[in-house]
Amino acid sequence: MARMKFLCDADRCIECNACVTACKNEHEVPWGINRRRVVTINDGKPGERSVSMACMHCTEAPCAAVCPVNCFYTTADGVVLHSKDLCIGCGYCFYACPFGAPQYPKVGNFGSRGKMDKCTYCAGGPEADGSKEEYEKYGANRLAEGKLPLCAEMCSTKSLLAGDGEIIAQIYKERVLKRGYGSGAWGWKTAYRETIES
Amino acid sequence: MPSLGRFIRVTIRAWVLLLLIMAAPSPSLAQQINPTASSVNERQLLQEMDRIQGRVSIPDQRSSVLLQPAGREWREFRNVALRWIGGGAILGMLAVLLVFYLTRGMVRLESGRSGRTIVRFTVFERFVHWMTATCFIILAISGLNITFGRPLLLPLIGFEAFSEWSQWAKYAHNYLSFPFTIGVILIFLMWIAGNIPNKVDVAWIKRGGGIVGHDHPPAYRFNAGQKMIYWIVVIGGGLVAATGYVLMFPFYISGIEGMQMAQIIHSVVAVLFVAAMIAHIYIGTIGMEGAFEAMGSGEVDLNWAREHHSLWLDEQSGRTGPNDQRPQPATAAAE
Amino acid sequence: MLIKRTDQHSGSDRRGSVADALASQTSGLDRRTFLRRSGLAGGALAALGTMPVYGVRKAEAAMAGPLAAGATVKKSICTHCSVGCTVTAEVLNGVWIGQEPSWDSPINRGSHCAKGASVRELVHSERRLRYPMKLVNGQWTRVSWDTAINEIGDKILEVREKSGPDSVYWLGSAKMTNEGAYLFRKLGAFWGTNNTDHQARICHSTTVTGVANTWGYGAMTNSYNDIRNAKTQMIMGGNPAEAHPVSLQHLLEGKELQKANFIVIDPRMTRTAAHATEYVRMRPGTDIPVLYGIMWHILQNGWEDKEFIRQRVYGFDDLRKEVEKWNPEEVERVTGIPTEQLKRVAKVFATEKPSTLIWAMGQTQKTVGTANVRASCILLLLTGNVGGPGMGANIFRGHDNVQGATDVGLDIVTLPFYYGLAEGAWKHWSRVWDVDYEFLKSRFDSKQIMETPGIPLTRWFEAVTLPKDQVAQKDNVRAVFVQGHASNSITRIPESLKGLKALDLLVIADPHPTTWASLAVEAGRKDGVYILPVATQFECKGSRVASNRSLQWGEQIVKPIFESKDDLEVIYLMARKLGFADQMFKKIKVESNLPEAEDVLREMNRGSWSTGYCGQSPERLKAHMKNQAKFDMLTMRAPKDDPEVGGDYYGLPWPCWGTPEVKHPGTPLLYNTNLHVMDGGGTFRPRFGLEREEKLPDGTTRKVSLLADGSYSKGSAIEDGYPEFTLASLKKLGWDTELTEAEMTVINKINPANPDTVSWSLDLSGGIQRVALMHGCVPYGNGKARMHAFGLPDPIPVHREPIYTPRVDLVAKYPTLPDAKQFRVPNIGFSVQKAAVEKGIAKQFPLILSSGRLVEYEGGGEETRTNPWLAELQQDMFIEINPADAAERGVRDGGWVWVTGAENNSRARMKALVTERVGKGVAWMPFHFGGWLAGKDLRSNYPKGTDPIVLGESANTITTYGYDPATNMQETKVTLCQIAAA
Repeated sequence: MARMKFLCDADRCIECNACVTACKNEHEVPWGINRRRVVTINDGKPGERSVSMACMHCTEAPCAAVCPVNCFYTTADGVVLHSKDLCIGCGYCFYACPFGAPQYPKVGNFGSRGKMDKCTYCAGGPEADGSKEEYEKYGANRLAEGKLPLCAEMCSTKSLLAGDGEIIAQIYKERVLKRGYGSGAWGWKTAYRETIES
Repeated sequence: MPSLGRFIRVTIRAWVLLLLIMAAPSPSLAQQINPTASSVNERQLLQEMDRIQGRVSIPDQRSSVLLQPAGREWREFRNVALRWIGGGAILGMLAVLLVFYLTRGMVRLESGRSGRTIVRFTVFERFVHWMTATCFIILAISGLNITFGRPLLLPLIGFEAFSEWSQWAKYAHNYLSFPFTIGVILIFLMWIAGNIPNKVDVAWIKRGGGIVGHDHPPAYRFNAGQKMIYWIVVIGGGLVAATGYVLMFPFYISGIEGMQMAQIIHSVVAVLFVAAMIAHIYIGTIGMEGAFEAMGSGEVDLNWAREHHSLWLDEQSGRTGPNDQRPQPATAAAE
Repeated sequence: MLIKRTDQHSGSDRRGSVADALASQTSGLDRRTFLRRSGLAGGALAALGTMPVYGVRKAEAAMAGPLAAGATVKKSICTHCSVGCTVTAEVLNGVWIGQEPSWDSPINRGSHCAKGASVRELVHSERRLRYPMKLVNGQWTRVSWDTAINEIGDKILEVREKSGPDSVYWLGSAKMTNEGAYLFRKLGAFWGTNNTDHQARICHSTTVTGVANTWGYGAMTNSYNDIRNAKTQMIMGGNPAEAHPVSLQHLLEGKELQKANFIVIDPRMTRTAAHATEYVRMRPGTDIPVLYGIMWHILQNGWEDKEFIRQRVYGFDDLRKEVEKWNPEEVERVTGIPTEQLKRVAKVFATEKPSTLIWAMGQTQKTVGTANVRASCILLLLTGNVGGPGMGANIFRGHDNVQGATDVGLDIVTLPFYYGLAEGAWKHWSRVWDVDYEFLKSRFDSKQIMETPGIPLTRWFEAVTLPKDQVAQKDNVRAVFVQGHASNSITRIPESLKGLKALDLLVIADPHPTTWASLAVEAGRKDGVYILPVATQFECKGSRVASNRSLQWGEQIVKPIFESKDDLEVIYLMARKLGFADQMFKKIKVESNLPEAEDVLREMNRGSWSTGYCGQSPERLKAHMKNQAKFDMLTMRAPKDDPEVGGDYYGLPWPCWGTPEVKHPGTPLLYNTNLHVMDGGGTFRPRFGLEREEKLPDGTTRKVSLLADGSYSKGSAIEDGYPEFTLASLKKLGWDTELTEAEMTVINKINPANPDTVSWSLDLSGGIQRVALMHGCVPYGNGKARMHAFGLPDPIPVHREPIYTPRVDLVAKYPTLPDAKQFRVPNIGFSVQKAAVEKGIAKQFPLILSSGRLVEYEGGGEETRTNPWLAELQQDMFIEINPADAAERGVRDGGWVWVTGAENNSRARMKALVTERVGKGVAWMPFHFGGWLAGKDLRSNYPKGTDPIVLGESANTITTYGYDPATNMQETKVTLCQIAAA
């Protein structure tokens, strides 16, 4: 079985935000919820790099570990999903997540959180694949249709890679070998406890 | 000492940054500016700082933190350290009390009941106490649920029921925080006068509070043990309330590290608080004959008062006859 | 949650924040979510415009269905830049429910940028115009289409009666399809004016003029894909990472695969510069000194391509003289770039070939725009970097169809396809249109004005407000009809308010009300403004031309929603009302008021010989879209054996010679002599005579040939330079016998008196082209490119300081050109510059102000600022300021500032972005914002419910006087300002 991962090749990322709006478009993500975002490090200085970041679908996901109600689960593809029916919106996964992935709609008074929302790797949720309920709660389920996450598919410079971890690591390795530079597979050490040697 | 460690880290970081700035040659234009070659690198950035932050255009500035492996440390705390601390404190306290009860039993009124009573707590005082206490118990249970519910309760009742319960528990936790906080503030104001430590307390503590044996060291309205409980409530309650609000209003007051820190303080103080309150409940109920009445009816037997709060009884008696008149405001006690 | 379902009508409480804007939104997302998963029955959507929200809810309950089962796939072209990304839409029951990557497109290969990935929202936006409106006593009032067209038409006819046809200004759009833009130009011609313009004026008019005057055609010579072949990519005056993000796929992959040099010369350390191998920071407005500085090193070291220059270039000696003035000391003094760095760049560019030079607005939007791009072309010629893979002037244009709209002549200086405005051009088009030349002439005030270029859109408000005697036409402009053009993209907004106030009539035809509406109200108008809802391009079909000259046919994804109408229908309705529809649509099929796009393209095919738009029939273009996957990504060519598109280059990049039957494959790289012309080869176009008399220093003269010397395209029967083909030249070669009888009949009909003069570009039969092609010859001839472009204000580019320059010490040596009358209006740049120096403006306003593009927004930005997926990413207008400048002024990152400009006491309130992207002394603003003016929020000026989510100050509130003498391009890149914490 494939182990799905994301890899952002920062030497290709131009902060065009296609990944961000593709995600909004595919899942009708409301204003204020950013399942994916692009962060620019060293903005305006030589050496500046932008990195697109969302849930990395960690190995031994910290969110799952700290969830008081155990609403996370990992699919056979290694995608970390959660059940919004079980989530109580406590915010603990946000404290645990190294990537700032969990998002909470503001509901009610004094900024209390609604049910957590995050990148699903375009793999929906616990409901039946492709069902209306699944779409409403988690968005489209592209993985079930044999497609990869739209953010990566639409990436303007093919910077954001999605797919089986070994394959995308291989692609990245070859790129670095060919061009002779690479600023690293951002987040991989934290998420997967591995790095791609270049 | 987490805040001290933090301070040290921040200081070191600032120095590193300063050194870097000073070491970096001023960018002379004659040199080649090769942004590709000088690109930032994750490993290097993480060595310099414990998180990587950049610029995002959306106003939500917390999303400008790209990577923050500190989340893993917090996870370790929450899943391991906190469970040991909490389990240890609460179970330990229960064990101590059990041993104590089995060996010492209920502290009896040695002179028996006199049949005459004296007002110890007014209606208002009792109302405040019980409001705070009720909130505390619910907050404690719902709070402990967040930490211990998943391993202990969830397997018993299943996902749906547990989530349903936890959801309500969360609401209860959030909303009851307000009356609890008010209660703590009132307790602080109401009883501060009687809870300033003094010489009598030193003697009281030296004599072990009379817990062992049949000693009865003198005490004013509140003995040193009660004062301890008072300060635990005021300081502990203040801390859990303050940190709780940091968590309840995410990002209004602090960033993610602050919230992690707040959660750590909140949870550690809370479990210790719970342990202390278990002792308080013990001593107020099965631990000591006649104690519950103080918060129950508000009137205690004169003999009980004589044995446990002799100095207070003297004060009260000097002013009025026991239970002859309308009860005096409690604040008069320490005048 | 910020987005609320609310039944309240929007606008009840408008204060300006994004949250307020969103709160007033009526259930937009909810409705579309529902649409996506249920697939509302076709037709019902049109009714939504007037349906209250609860009505939609009811439908929702009744019609929930399966997700995307049974959806059809439609392909169109992204409308947000010139890369030409294919958009793949899933449509269910007439509703656009999803977007999929367009893997088959050789251009974008599945990719999009933020805008392309969110275009679906444009169509179903809740904030689009729903029905025609007019301003009545200061209130926006709904009217019917019939009423609107009738009232507008009557008013326009009244203006014509009193002031003549030139008093109506027709402002079209690069957003229209080729067919729309062409018809809009034709509308102007039949109305009787050359006052028809569009965005190319303010984006690449200087490129078109400068580049065409160098080597024949004013367009990108190669393609985005071809940049992969370059060993050196130099980007000067462009930020494609934000303006053309998908192009970076080709640039960066090319950089990696070729281990190419990636040089970025820019005042800003842009997102593009972040990927450079060499970043050069220059002072804004010194492009020519920078380029001459590079050329100085090239000439000094003998790195120029001598053989190329000898064979294919005219005017090298004149150039050498100018370059010699720019020694390294002077270059460093003027540009601020160290000699060593520039020498390194020069060496890399000249010796690590093929090298390409990429530019965009950074070079063009200047008072010296034409000269800038000329200098760029000259650098390419000097190093022999034109006419081959990985070389060329890769000019990144702005809009999805700005190249096409330019080609089809939606312009003030020419009829379609660069035929110009001379009598011969009018006669050519009257033949194509099958109308009497005399009829067309009668539509104009005079034959003289018919052949005189119109007023540039950059000057429209001056054409309204200047004293009548200063506007060289019968009367001032009194009515403006805008179809698809933002007003906040035009400089000097405070001045334009006067124009808005003085107009008799303003018509805004657009999917959104635009700043024309909000500023017209702000200017104090109470009436005389109409808004017509026009469909987005995704609701129209037709061809669009990407920057690489490829034509792509976009299908209609969904029918126009609400009461919106197709551009073509609006043009038809206007023509009908104005009384010339029968003549104008004589050869075009019109069905229920909608001209058929395919038929319009066929008419263009029949007349566009000069530019080689003649071979791209709708059938061929549709076949290309259908067979996208067959085209090679690098060469863009389909296998020769393919039955439908065999041997074609993707999108038949013009020139695609001859009739469609000739099956010319298109020309992927212009002027490429290494290919046979029937394989897309070509030569420089001899457009400026065959020889030129030059004065020698001793007073004698000599004649110099302007034809190529010993260079020719592969397989050419003539192995040297040759002039354009005419019947006479065919006869001379003895090739005239190869013309068919039918072709001869047509040729004889064109000029019965003297058929010999009929040329390749006037021959409606295509016979002359066909015969030339058969002999491997390029129909337009084989000439030299010009380093010395006689006829331009500066035949050899000359550095001239910006009108408002911080370097007043340089103005005496490098002044701007003297005042002159251009395009019917005066250009007083010299006086303004002089006054600025005398008044010490540079002391009061010490910061250089430049402007540019953000990836999330496009153009004036109304459309994109209305799209919540994009608007969320850029919620505030801002100005970039260097940390040192910020510290001096007590400005903090994210804090509010007042920006003040050098003219009109202009001021604008925005947020500061403190960053090292800009150097010290330079500030930069994005130009997409609008809806605020001098700190005032104009949200309430928009018709209810149509205000964009994000509003902000327009950069052009601060911009100042300055127009290129050759095109009247506006100056947006260099002016002066001051910044203070608010």
